[in-house]
Amino acid sequence: MDKISENQKQINHPLKRSILTNMIVIPFIPFLLAIGVSFYYFATTLEQSSTASLKRIVEDHCHMIDSFLMERQSDLELITNTYSFDDIMEGAAIDGIFENLKKRSGAFVDLGLFNSRGIHKRYAGKFQLLKGKEYRNEVWFKKVMQTGYYISDIFSGYRNVPHFIIAVKQGADNDAWVLRATIDTLVFDRLVSKVRIGKTGESYILNSSGISQTERRSGGIGIMEKDPEYIDFPHSLELSPSKNGIETFIKTDPAKDQYLYATTRLKNKEWLLVVRQEKKDAYKALYSAMYITLLIMVVGGAVIIVTAIYMTEHILKRMDTLGMEKESLGNQLIRAVQLAEIGEMAAGFAHEINNPLQIIKGEHLLVETLMKEIAALLPPTSGEDLDEIQDSMDQIKLQVNRCSEITHAILKFGRKNDSKPEVLNPCDIIPEIIHMVEKKAHVEGIDMRMDIAHDTPRFQGDASQFQQVILNLVNNAMDAIAQAHGTSGGLLSVTSEKTDQGDAQINISDNGVGIGSDNIGKIFSPFFTTKPVGKGTGLGLSVCYGIIKNLGGTMTVKSEQGKGTTFVITLPAMV
Amino acid sequence: MEKMKLLLVDDEERYLKTTKRLMEKKGYAVAVASSGQEALETLQKRIIHVVILDVKMPGMDGNQTLKAIKQHHPLVEVVMLTGHATVDSAIDGLKSGATDYLMKPADIDEIIEKAEEAYEKRQRLEEKIRAAQTKKFMRSPREILKDDEA
Repeated sequence: MDKISENQKQINHPLKRSILTNMIVIPFIPFLLAIGVSFYYFATTLEQSSTASLKRIVEDHCHMIDSFLMERQSDLELITNTYSFDDIMEGAAIDGIFENLKKRSGAFVDLGLFNSRGIHKRYAGKFQLLKGKEYRNEVWFKKVMQTGYYISDIFSGYRNVPHFIIAVKQGADNDAWVLRATIDTLVFDRLVSKVRIGKTGESYILNSSGISQTERRSGGIGIMEKDPEYIDFPHSLELSPSKNGIETFIKTDPAKDQYLYATTRLKNKEWLLVVRQEKKDAYKALYSAMYITLLIMVVGGAVIIVTAIYMTEHILKRMDTLGMEKESLGNQLIRAVQLAEIGEMAAGFAHEINNPLQIIKGEHLLVETLMKEIAALLPPTSGEDLDEIQDSMDQIKLQVNRCSEITHAILKFGRKNDSKPEVLNPCDIIPEIIHMVEKKAHVEGIDMRMDIAHDTPRFQGDASQFQQVILNLVNNAMDAIAQAHGTSGGLLSVTSEKTDQGDAQINISDNGVGIGSDNIGKIFSPFFTTKPVGKGTGLGLSVCYGIIKNLGGTMTVKSEQGKGTTFVITLPAMV
Repeated sequence: MEKMKLLLVDDEERYLKTTKRLMEKKGYAVAVASSGQEALETLQKRIIHVVILDVKMPGMDGNQTLKAIKQHHPLVEVVMLTGHATVDSAIDGLKSGATDYLMKPADIDEIIEKAEEAYEKRQRLEEKIRAAQTKKFMRSPREILKDDEA
């Protein structure tokens, strides 16, 4: 048996692999597809929405900074329109004007008045030293004289403090004068970097050559330092500085962090407003979604694999059992066929042996006849020898008859039974059958009881088949009793009665070993036997069951292990 | 009464020989044939009253032989001799017109008894035929001529 199961396992090996592969791969396909597709759409949507929000922020912020610069410029223009050059030159008038200006915006640090030659005429603010200095050749002065107003980049200037200025011109040619205000970089910085997006969102301004104009919150580059990233910014920004479009892109900074950038040009200054956010931060939801997805994949995958392994084991176990059952059924079938063949062969032999027996019989008779004739001729002294010969002849006759009895018995056993239905009376046939086994029961110490109710209805059936059923059940009962009680204390009862439906019911009960609950469902199955190999075909009860069923009856069993078994047969009554 | 003439048909030569001898000792006229074909030939040549016919024979078997005998010699009585396994064929034989059957191995006395019964049956039948013919001739003597012509 061990060898068989080992073989079976080897046979199952490739099958196991393919079942397992299928069980894992097939659920994995829709699983991965569902996760992949939803993750892809989620990621795309998130990317789009983060980019959109970044764009919106940079746009709003740009407006704000633009309007701040515009307002400061308007503040100065208001003064130049309200006052004349002489008005401001008068005594400490500029201090009063500066005080008013500061009230409008705290961003103003100082205010200076310049004549057309660039001489610093009047000044209000912290840095008194600079009065009288000539600015004629400074870039800002030239520009303001040219265009009427000017907003500078951040520079240190004579003061060595980073600042930027707004200057406006009034008048023309030699009467022209310029009012210049310095803007507090702290205030401007605060304004620019006010943007807050997530944890790492920040904004700063770069001039047209990539020099930082405001502090960057995350550090990295200080004010007035060149942003090393600037070179890598999309070129379209440089090529068309007047373009007000918003660019978004992703860049990796030297620290290997990826940033999401949105940039736009300010309107009235060639400054680039940069809003950026660490990608990790912007896609935080995406990353958590990714982790959840990964977790689902791992857990789901594990569940699929475990289930697949379990199912495969289960299927293989089932296949093994089926294979084993099939094998044992096959063996039993072969045994049954062999038995049937042996039966047929035995019948053939018996028939063939009858011919020589017939001849021996004839020869014997001839010898005997001749003997009688010879005996009459011989002297009486040889009587003793003759008697001996006669005795021997009688033995021959006896043994030939014995042989013929054996062959007849074999032939009777092997005879093919055509069922010939007839009406059977249980009151006659059951006692007849029981009579056949009474002697055996007596020898085995079994108390045989029979109670046939007189009103048990007649039924239709083949007498020899019915006999086969009853004998089979009684013999089984005797075996069960012998197992439980040996040769004393057995009880076997055969009773019959009329059921409430008017059918004939025959009960055969014993107090033998009984049938285990595991087996009770299988006892009518063909080839099921609890007897050792070669002792039982496992066909007896199934044949009985088939016979009773063919007669339109039923056969049931009740059994309790250790207590005994009762077989109940019901047969439709013959009217 | 005419003496009974028997024909034994069996494929076992030794059986035929011994049985023939035993029966002759008992005073019966016995012919033998070892096959169905031979039996039919013998019936053509000689007058036989009862045939003892083995069912199982090589070539033409008992039942075929029986049918042929009944076809050509309807008045010959046949007793089938059978092994047990071929009871069914013995039954077929009875249906095809055999008088009786015997189970092997059979005692010689049993065979003779059955043969006698069959012979009596035949004689009764012949008696009837004779009586019927007599009646016919009595009514119209000219029928004898017709019968001869036939």
